[in-house]
Amino acid sequence: MLRAEGVKKEFAGIHALDGASLEVGEGEAIGLVGPNGSGKSTLLSAMSGFLRPDAGEITFDGRRIERMKPWRVAGLGLQRTFQLPQMPEKMTVLEVMLTGARLRRGNSIWTSLLRPGAVAAEQAEAIDRARALLDEMTLLRLANQPAAMISGGQQKLLSLGAALMGSPRMLLLDEPTAGVNPTLRGVLAERLRQVHAAGTALVIVEHDMGFVADLCERCYVLDKGTVITSCAPSKLASDQRVVEAYLGTKAFGKDGAPRRSGAAL
Amino acid sequence: MLDFLLGVGVLASLYGIVAIALNLQAGTTGLLNFGIVAFFGIGAYATGIGSMHGLAWPLSMLIGMLLAALAGLGFGRLGSQLSDVYWAIATLALAELLRLVALNSGGLTRGANGISSAEPFFSGLGSTGTDLAWLALSGAVLAACALIAWQAIRFQFGRTLRMVRECEPLAAALNHDVTGAKVRVLVLSAPMAALAGSLYAHYISFIGPQELAPFVTFLIWTMVVVGGMGSIAGVIVGAFLVELLYGLTRYIHDITGISATSSAGLRVLVVGACLLGFLLFRPAGIIPERLRRIDASS
Repeated sequence: MLRAEGVKKEFAGIHALDGASLEVGEGEAIGLVGPNGSGKSTLLSAMSGFLRPDAGEITFDGRRIERMKPWRVAGLGLQRTFQLPQMPEKMTVLEVMLTGARLRRGNSIWTSLLRPGAVAAEQAEAIDRARALLDEMTLLRLANQPAAMISGGQQKLLSLGAALMGSPRMLLLDEPTAGVNPTLRGVLAERLRQVHAAGTALVIVEHDMGFVADLCERCYVLDKGTVITSCAPSKLASDQRVVEAYLGTKAFGKDGAPRRSGAAL
Repeated sequence: MLDFLLGVGVLASLYGIVAIALNLQAGTTGLLNFGIVAFFGIGAYATGIGSMHGLAWPLSMLIGMLLAALAGLGFGRLGSQLSDVYWAIATLALAELLRLVALNSGGLTRGANGISSAEPFFSGLGSTGTDLAWLALSGAVLAACALIAWQAIRFQFGRTLRMVRECEPLAAALNHDVTGAKVRVLVLSAPMAALAGSLYAHYISFIGPQELAPFVTFLIWTMVVVGGMGSIAGVIVGAFLVELLYGLTRYIHDITGISATSSAGLRVLVVGACLLGFLLFRPAGIIPERLRRIDASS
């Protein structure tokens, strides 16, 4: 479904991506792990149209996307979230959710001017859906608050919720749990589990190995801009190359299995 | 006194239309257009040049609006190539370019002499009657443009624009064609400014390069900032207040006896001080943009 091959990206002489390749199948849940600076976020940006690779090929559903504009990639059903989502000051939480909805009538100037009734009907359905989703994410009481005013963790949930409003077929999540408190982390994990169960593929860039082990069937490990291995999350600690990449084993328990949620590599 | 107020009212309405257009671009979408006067000028010159060649005024007006829409498209496409700040500089340059073309193509625009053949409206009504009729016309057009602006951004398109203004990457990640949204808001608003320019040419029966000076752009910006960026009601209030203030400064010379040249400079200074004062002490304007709360029932 999503396939990256030999993706390269250089920033001022540094090879952020040096021939990274991976493949994610329909409905899979994949972890993307690796030490800081290994190129995880860069790869995610390349796969979502936010960054043009210098070389390599990225396809989604057989379509080349590495030179596509980000909104076109999102339009194909491949959506991303941000590590540090910047949220608008003058839009409410509910409005951010609605921005994520595919409202074709409301997005047309002509229809907005000439058929406001039809636009309002389309929007009313989206409002119901957004409120239900906010409720499941424990954010409904904040629906009319400015999105920039809610906590960082809540903003991360909101950014996931807004992406979900577009019913993506695959979600690329950039460190979804970083800066999120344990309670909200549980809400987030539960939401992602349900989304995955409903058939949406997930690619999760994450330092919390417990979180990855909970949600993902398989992991890609990045180091110095290349994928060094792919394995089940439980096998990570026993892979010598992974251990070397991280220069240590502190994230893993004595038995070699990842610690529970909260342990960070 | 009445004639003065009527004159201020007409000009405030006409510039108010341009302010509505600028507000769609800068206030709602965050597009720093420092060349808004170009769209106004395209409308005014289309009317002027049309009148020189005996074209019916509605046709000239329409041509001006279409040309402005095309210019809006061009400005918008440019936006996909340039970052926000460079785009702002480019708009200023484009507007200046247009003024210089108007100043220097004598055959087409009569250069510095300007064109004074635009048909005057309501000429048989006496001075006050004409101004009253003009106030009704310009006020109605202002109201219509405000209504169109309000309705066009009431739903998803408006949210897209505001998301582009505040968090462009998030807008793009949520499947919104950022460049397309900018182009569409420019194509929507540029003809409004052109319509105002065309009416202006009819109102003062003159159009010359000085009506395209950068000062006009900053007068419009002052109206938007004073009224409240992103607030349509605010922008209308701002247009009337700033135009009233600017109109009053015409009497600096009579009241203080300062030389005519110095008082002309002072008029510009007053507008500049007004803009600066609001930017420093009340950047949200007189009527700030409000948060759009949506209740469960709606």
